[in-house]
Amino acid sequence: MNRTALITGGSQGLGRAVAGFLAAQGYGLLITARGEEDLDAAARELRRHGGPVTALAGDVADPAHRGRLADAARELGRLDVLFNNASTLGVTPLPPLAGYPLDALEQAFRVNVAAPIALVQEVLPLLEASGGLVVNVSSDAALGGYPGWGGYGLTKAALDLASLTLANELGGRGIGVVAVDPGDLRTRMHQDAFPGEDISDRPLPEVTLPFWAWLLEQPRAAVTGRRYRAQADRWEVNV
Amino acid sequence: MKRAELDFARPRALQAAGPPERRGLERDEVRLLVSTGSTGRGHEHARFRDLPRFLAPGTLLVVNDSATLPASLPARHPSLGPLVANVSTRYGDGLYLVELRRSAAEPGPLPVEIGDGLDIAGLPARLIAPHPGLPRLWFVRVESDLRRAMERTGAPIRYGYLETPYPPIEAYQTLFARTPGSAEMPSAGRPFTPRVVDALRAGGIGIAGLTLHAGVSSHELEADDVEDQILYAEPFAVPERTAEAVTAARREGRPVIAAGTTVVRALESAWDGERVRAAAGFTRLLVHPGRPVRSVDGLLTGLHDPLASHLAMLYAIAPRELVREGYAEAVREKYLWHEFGDSHLLLPGPKSAG
Repeated sequence: MNRTALITGGSQGLGRAVAGFLAAQGYGLLITARGEEDLDAAARELRRHGGPVTALAGDVADPAHRGRLADAARELGRLDVLFNNASTLGVTPLPPLAGYPLDALEQAFRVNVAAPIALVQEVLPLLEASGGLVVNVSSDAALGGYPGWGGYGLTKAALDLASLTLANELGGRGIGVVAVDPGDLRTRMHQDAFPGEDISDRPLPEVTLPFWAWLLEQPRAAVTGRRYRAQADRWEVNV
Repeated sequence: MKRAELDFARPRALQAAGPPERRGLERDEVRLLVSTGSTGRGHEHARFRDLPRFLAPGTLLVVNDSATLPASLPARHPSLGPLVANVSTRYGDGLYLVELRRSAAEPGPLPVEIGDGLDIAGLPARLIAPHPGLPRLWFVRVESDLRRAMERTGAPIRYGYLETPYPPIEAYQTLFARTPGSAEMPSAGRPFTPRVVDALRAGGIGIAGLTLHAGVSSHELEADDVEDQILYAEPFAVPERTAEAVTAARREGRPVIAAGTTVVRALESAWDGERVRAAAGFTRLLVHPGRPVRSVDGLLTGLHDPLASHLAMLYAIAPRELVREGYAEAVREKYLWHEFGDSHLLLPGPKSAG
């Protein structure tokens, strides 16, 4: 049976680029995003590669939607990659943490931290059966302490720790968990963080494909627990 | 550093069209240009077998143990017809980075597209995506092991300057070759022979190994600023004992000399800010003068073409005047370029503090 991947935020930007790369390799795909129209358009394009593509529109912060995704993953029969890519910047333009609306902060944690963990919980048996890899998409904002990036950065720092903890907990079951900072990319999300600014100097998401090619082919034990920068000049395994 | 600074005139004739054995020389009888920085000796001309004479007792020489694969395979594209598939790097079971070209002398990029099916050495393959920034290289999925295909029908990757009959794969293996994986020979190791190694050991020179599987040579700089050049990643592994040997040599003030640009790349990729430690993975580190080299004191290498990214590495290891004068000397004295050519030992001498 072909390998399969569940990609959240799969209709645009990084998620869409990775989906295309995996579809071209024959992966079966399950993609989700909130906007149904964009998601369906992405699914139509991805199906041209010939493999099965299931597209379910919805919000990963919604437990009912996550349940539907897990059901669909079970229908595919296996899950090799859980790509937790859907993410919210929180309030834009990015407010300073000292003035951050707390309800919006809580919502950002629901989308960026609780949802990826919840998806791992939902599909754990599938991941275990296929020796799967969980990829949690992080950001340099998790480390930087950049003014204005506090809300988003907090969620990504928490996701980094969730990744490491899950890696330590799940390593014995053959599941790999990594956090990946894809670096600055020319995506709508990046544009939203810099409203009105010219971001055309940032590379397209395809610049990260060599990293994904490398990561997904590694034995899970060789990479689990690591935090990668996809645009870095080296990617190391556990030695 | 600007690309133009790496340009120079290399007469076309100054290239080895085949192994030195075809010119009546032993491997270790190729020429050795020794460029010494600090002692004022300048540039000396010798034979490679004289190498031990130029290395101080206690020196640690680090070599690449990667063996070269017959990585050039016949291919066929449904609309483009017969092609050459030079397999650069193995990413995993059935996923490879491949350079497609019409022939040894005709580089791509070719008008191919994502999803195209093709035949590589009789095996069905599919083009997955072009390498970002390097459109000659494609990720290719093959539901089979290309290593076996190489054993069956592969040939060493070669370019237009080689004369027939083409050298067999054995001509591409260095004395240190242990771990198959390079698409192109780590050529700095080629002139080593048992007698040179014996003389090095007798002279109190240590030898330590690491692995870096060199991909296809597509490292000619295209970006105006050297730092912006896109490189593809190559597998590397620095074992614990080699990391320890380098660390001990540096602690004791003994020189560490890299035998090959691949060795510099691997050691610098394993540098953690204070020392070289055991490390493995993929690296696309570009060593250039804006990024000081910390792990080695000198470099034993071949002669590099104008605009080659490896030239930027030389400038990161030695002062510009020393490299420039050395290359002028090599041209004047008619040294031979390319993988079967002559050798160059760069010994810049002690660095100034900081």
